[in-house]
Amino acid sequence: MAATDRMNPGAVLRAPVSRRTWAELLYALVSMPLAVLGFAYALVILVLSAGLAVTAAGFPLLAAGLGGAGRIAGFQRRLAGRLLGEQVEPPVRRVAAAELLGRMQTRLGDPAGWRALGYLGLKLPIALTYLYVVGVTWGWGLVALTYPLQHATGLNRSTAPDGRSGLHIQGYVLDSWPRQLMVSAAGVALLLLAPWAVRLATIPDRVLMRWLLGRRGLAERVRDLEETRAHAVDDAAATLRRIERDLHDGAQVRLIALTMQLTMVRDAITDDGARALVTTAQATAREAIVELRELVRGIHPPALDHGLETALTTLAARSGVPVEPRIELRTRPTAAIESIAYFCAAELLANVAKHSGATRAWLSLTQSDGRLFLRVRDDGSGGAAPGRGSGLPGLLDRVRTVDGRLDIASPSGGPTVVTVELPSHA
Amino acid sequence: MRIVIADDAAILRDGLAHLLTARGHEVVAGVGDAGSLREAVAEHRPDVAVIDIRMPPTHTDEGLRAAIGLRRDHPGLGILLFSQYVETRFAAELLAGSSNGVGYLLKERVGDIDDFVDALHRVASGGTALDPEVVGHLLNAGRRGVDALTPREREVMGLMAEGRTNAAIAKTLVVSDRAVEKHIANIFLKLGLPPSGDDHRRVLAVLRYLGA
Repeated sequence: MAATDRMNPGAVLRAPVSRRTWAELLYALVSMPLAVLGFAYALVILVLSAGLAVTAAGFPLLAAGLGGAGRIAGFQRRLAGRLLGEQVEPPVRRVAAAELLGRMQTRLGDPAGWRALGYLGLKLPIALTYLYVVGVTWGWGLVALTYPLQHATGLNRSTAPDGRSGLHIQGYVLDSWPRQLMVSAAGVALLLLAPWAVRLATIPDRVLMRWLLGRRGLAERVRDLEETRAHAVDDAAATLRRIERDLHDGAQVRLIALTMQLTMVRDAITDDGARALVTTAQATAREAIVELRELVRGIHPPALDHGLETALTTLAARSGVPVEPRIELRTRPTAAIESIAYFCAAELLANVAKHSGATRAWLSLTQSDGRLFLRVRDDGSGGAAPGRGSGLPGLLDRVRTVDGRLDIASPSGGPTVVTVELPSHA
Repeated sequence: MRIVIADDAAILRDGLAHLLTARGHEVVAGVGDAGSLREAVAEHRPDVAVIDIRMPPTHTDEGLRAAIGLRRDHPGLGILLFSQYVETRFAAELLAGSSNGVGYLLKERVGDIDDFVDALHRVASGGTALDPEVVGHLLNAGRRGVDALTPREREVMGLMAEGRTNAAIAKTLVVSDRAVEKHIANIFLKLGLPPSGDDHRRVLAVLRYLGA
């Protein structure tokens, strides 16, 4: 930028012919038609979608329009990067949902699209200043520089009452050679000034681009990270659930069919030795089924499909220590949160059975202010702490992925109460 | 026995039908969803229905819902739920009210087809057939009075809950019929069940045990 340029005479003289000057001039010139088109685009989108807001077409049109504004902004950033050397970092892309409605909501809620639309609106006055500055400096400069030629060919000259012929400025007629050369000198001065004037004129545009088309500050970055993390967490939960479904409908069914088919084989043969072999094969298949079931339980317990209540009741029933479950949920958390709550409960109950020496345990899940509270209490010896093979650090990691909290109260001698606080959605 | 099979996996439906037919039973219908199951039961009046818990459209608990409806509409029908997973709440829901003529088995139990047919017979004749794993879960849940049972009595109780007769329990545990009777009398005593018809007390004991 201007501050970094040394204003030495050489630079001043070379400026009108430097590559940078021509690029900036080109930028200023193409800005005008682009600004007109962009302004018209923004106007049409806003007017049309406002007009159609009462119909079903209004919001989809606006969403598509914002998407288009985002793409125009991308072109604008590339143009500015190429011609002005102004590198504007694009805003963080929102992760769009797969289905149409979700994509539409993402677009409508994305501030980057709205800011791009705002830029298109503000670009027009900026482009007008470009036009003015380029006209006054480059335009007039060239006209003045070439004045002697114009004079010789009869351009730009009129004849005064006293018979002198040339360009009139406030009654001063530029007709003689020295006077013509004076005009040319003024033209040279204007042309030497032109690069700096254009550069100066681009400053508001650069600021506006960084403000409206660029990446916002830390707060936005944090919000984007939170959003993408929530997407990642939800996505992982959905993937695990799909794997569970695929195993349930695929491999597990085939293995069960295999045990049936082996029974058919056993029915069909009479040789005792061969029948014994088939029975062994069947036992192996059955082991595979059991292992697969345990594996599935570790990635996405099928009971979770029926909600936390069913899943946690089943979990409590499976526990080695008698567990009294109390589950009070008014609204269902998202799948990812359900999964985290479930695995926390599983880990905590396993800890009770392994480490506490408890004879009873209580599991409660309650909701308040949109947060979920999972509490596991036992009548054991206490002294639980992260580490010592307790699985508590892993639990903490799981909980922290969604900004949850883990609270352990376990005085020596007991009882131990562990509370996990989770949001209702990732 | 006349049997209806409901499972959305054709490979399992056909395999099971083949095995049961080979053992002299009549599979009157094989269906893939809850709606067709209701129609098939109304049309064929089978002795027993084998029902997969997860069926279309949501693949969650359609089979269980259908089973509860069928118990209401066809009191004489034996119902065997058939699932790849054991969920305690499902068992409790199915057993709510009465455990007569219901069963809940893991699908892989068809590997031992004779046991499976045995369970079907029990369910068809108004008995109970619970998967050992289901029973195990319900046992762990720490039900009233159950804490007082000795390990041996728990074993006997578990087998009773699976729907076994005294003779079958004796055979499984390799003890005499007399020993089993003694255990069962102790169980009745510890669970505080008054003397009455033995079958009735048996059902009560199982229900109390399962907390249903």
